[in-house]
Amino acid sequence: MTLTSCILLASAVMAIGVYGVVTRRQAVAMLLSVELMANSANIVFASFAHFRGGPSAQVFVLFALALTVAEVAIGLALVMLLYRRHGDTSLALASEARR
Amino acid sequence: MSPVTLALVATLAPAVAAVLLLVVSPLRHRGAPAAWLTLAATVTSLGAAIALLVARLGGAPDARATTSWIEQAGRPLAEVGVLIDGVSLVMLLIVCLVALCVQLFSVAYMHDEPPKAFGRYFALHALFLFSMNVVVVSPNLLQLFFGWELVGLSSYLLIGFYFARPSAAQAAVKAFWMTKLADMGFLFGLLVLFVSTGSFEWTSAPSAAVATWVTGLLFVAVVGKSAQFPLHVWLPDAMEGPTPVSALLHAATMVAAGVFLVVRADPLFALAPGTREVMLWVGSVTAVFAAGLALVQRDLKKVLAFSTCSQLGYMVAALGAGQAFAGFFHLGTHAFFKALLFLAAGSVIHAVHSNAIDDMGGLRKKLPLTTGAFVIGALSLAGVPGFAGFFSKDLVLSSLEGKASWVPWAMLLFAAFLTAFYMGRVVIKVFWGEPGARAEHAHEGNLAMTGPLVVLAVPSLASGVLGGWLATQTSAEYHLHLGLTPVLATVMSLAGLGAAVVVFGRGGKAPLTAVLERLDTFSLVDRAWAGGYRLGLLGVSALAGWVDRYLIDGLMNFAGWAALEGGTSARRLQTGLVRDYALMVVVGVLALVLIGVLR
Amino acid sequence: MTFDPGFTAVALVMIVSALFVVRARHLIHAALWLGVTLLATAVLYAQLNAPFLAGVQVLTYVGGLLTLMIFGVMVTRRHEGLDAAAESDGKDRGFIFATALFVILAVVTWTSAPVIASPAKVATTAELARALLDEYLIAFEALSLLLLAAIVGAVVLVRRRDAVPGAAADTPALPATPEVNP
Repeated sequence: MTLTSCILLASAVMAIGVYGVVTRRQAVAMLLSVELMANSANIVFASFAHFRGGPSAQVFVLFALALTVAEVAIGLALVMLLYRRHGDTSLALASEARR
Repeated sequence: MSPVTLALVATLAPAVAAVLLLVVSPLRHRGAPAAWLTLAATVTSLGAAIALLVARLGGAPDARATTSWIEQAGRPLAEVGVLIDGVSLVMLLIVCLVALCVQLFSVAYMHDEPPKAFGRYFALHALFLFSMNVVVVSPNLLQLFFGWELVGLSSYLLIGFYFARPSAAQAAVKAFWMTKLADMGFLFGLLVLFVSTGSFEWTSAPSAAVATWVTGLLFVAVVGKSAQFPLHVWLPDAMEGPTPVSALLHAATMVAAGVFLVVRADPLFALAPGTREVMLWVGSVTAVFAAGLALVQRDLKKVLAFSTCSQLGYMVAALGAGQAFAGFFHLGTHAFFKALLFLAAGSVIHAVHSNAIDDMGGLRKKLPLTTGAFVIGALSLAGVPGFAGFFSKDLVLSSLEGKASWVPWAMLLFAAFLTAFYMGRVVIKVFWGEPGARAEHAHEGNLAMTGPLVVLAVPSLASGVLGGWLATQTSAEYHLHLGLTPVLATVMSLAGLGAAVVVFGRGGKAPLTAVLERLDTFSLVDRAWAGGYRLGLLGVSALAGWVDRYLIDGLMNFAGWAALEGGTSARRLQTGLVRDYALMVVVGVLALVLIGVLR
Repeated sequence: MTFDPGFTAVALVMIVSALFVVRARHLIHAALWLGVTLLATAVLYAQLNAPFLAGVQVLTYVGGLLTLMIFGVMVTRRHEGLDAAAESDGKDRGFIFATALFVILAVVTWTSAPVIASPAKVATTAELARALLDEYLIAFEALSLLLLAAIVGAVVLVRRRDAVPGAAADTPALPATPEVNP
């Protein structure tokens, strides 16, 4: 286990998350993909904390966790709103800018 | 006092008066104090000039003092100062003497003006005298240019003195336009001279080609200022100004500035035979052409105006023949007798309250002194032997002998005949014959009016004999010789006078009057200028309009259209789908990473 | 690079489960696969000498966030739960961009100056707490404010508009009720 391998793993998870964000059309599914991306960022933080030392990077992971939770809370609230308006969570319905 | 100090006094005294009158408005508004102040300044200038003359007669050498005006890299780029030599001293004397006479005359002539206008008139006179003296004493072409423009400004203001009269305002603007158009030549000539020689001195000797350019451009300004064909059209109109102004600016001094410039820049002109050739022809054509038109004018002042054009043509022709001294000599005598003629005409006009020759007639009995003055001026102008004009005109004609296959010489001889003819016509019509309707109650003016006439009559009679002295002062050669030319000139002038008596004594008309009148009223040159002006201005305007309408507006419209179209196209990017936006974010991140990697 | 069976196993699990997250047709499956990914991440944290992180990961992510997600899926679910059916349009470019991203990141990682792996001593929970509540106190407090704002924001967003008198006029034409849902 090296730093390089950890970062490669994080990159793979990030790429998969990006794939999900770009292809998924359900709002909740997009949120799940975003979670993957955030997770990969956390992996990078933790790896650096491990290989370069010091508690600071781990603190960042904790912050990032909290931020992610907040993001998901708001995201899900928006999903609820969307669902309540349209009876569906497909983000295509939220594209009111197109009209 | 040193000559330099005296020259400075002569130049700056009127400036002080002008500035005082400009700043201290009560002086100006009350009229009389302005006249006194300006007269005092002019007397000071004249006194300084006479002191200079006395010093020179006592053997004082030429004086020149300059101070650096604009410095560049440690050496003066341009200088201002004074130069007192024979030419400038004589010119200074002429200008100050004529100015004093004219201003004295004006006190009586302008007496009926409201005080404010009266004060403004004298303030402008002070400004003019300062400007003219700047021209006269300037040691280089740059300072001369500034004085040149200042006299142009004074001329504009004085022509438009009765600015409430549309014709006067138009005449002022016309004079300004025409002379400014010509002054472009001066400016560009200066630039060419400076670029090629690095100085504004007329003694700097550029190559022959550059000299031709410089003198050619300078000559354009001369044509404008000295009212030569085809830029002469402003001078007859300038007669809208008060008559004393016409006497001072538009006969004696300012219009002669062009001739003065050429006399000054003679070293440059000597290097440019081509320019001189052109000058020779322009002067000759103007002399004949203007004399012909003077024959049919019904306005007394316009006769004199065309006569001025014609006489300036003589001077320019003499300069073109390379005889600067002849031109300068004629300038001097002409200044006196033309100022005399104008002031006498002013006296007549003041008496009959009209400019029209037809309103006059038989004034010989009512205005004996004015008649005498006018006749002396007329005979001098006609070149009758013994009068001042004879000597200088003879010199001009002699200087043209053999030039350009004698054609200019013949033209000027013919012009001499015409001069005597039209002056005879004016004298007969105004002072002899039946009294006109308005001539009944005419009477001589007061001493302020008659005094200057007497004073000016003396040099008009006698200044011709000063030719020899003048020549020594300007280190030119002069000798009165009795050859073919003086005899022919005398014959011509006497024949002209005789013909005038024969033709006009019986109330007849000059031959070709109809043709000349048509020529005058049709005023081809005026129309050509107006047409050219319209063509130029409207053409440029049309072009500018087209550019504005189609290029600039088009660009604007295109910008608007492009923004609209671009917006419409770019709107398709905004799908409103979060997925697409996320994709774009990814693209952006990829681009940033790539930039970071490849750098 | 020496072979590390523990890390390899965790990495495989993580990648495979992540792929299922983005490819699962049923949302609920996707959410559950995300749970697997997050658990694998927790294991990785443990391997990286970050036991506290691992614990927090399990507690917060798997226990809290994932529950929240599943709750969201359940509340808004369509019984078919199918999501992938109509999304073939974005697949190709999604694949291309994701691959490009991965390739670029991998290349950059490989070609970067090799990091000398110098495993530091384990950052104890006490150290972590000290850093969190001492050095990063202001950020910590700001974060707590952010969380508060998120909670309030979520509540405001989800609050039923028609429960407020007079607010019904805001959305008259919208199918604002779940009854529309088939």
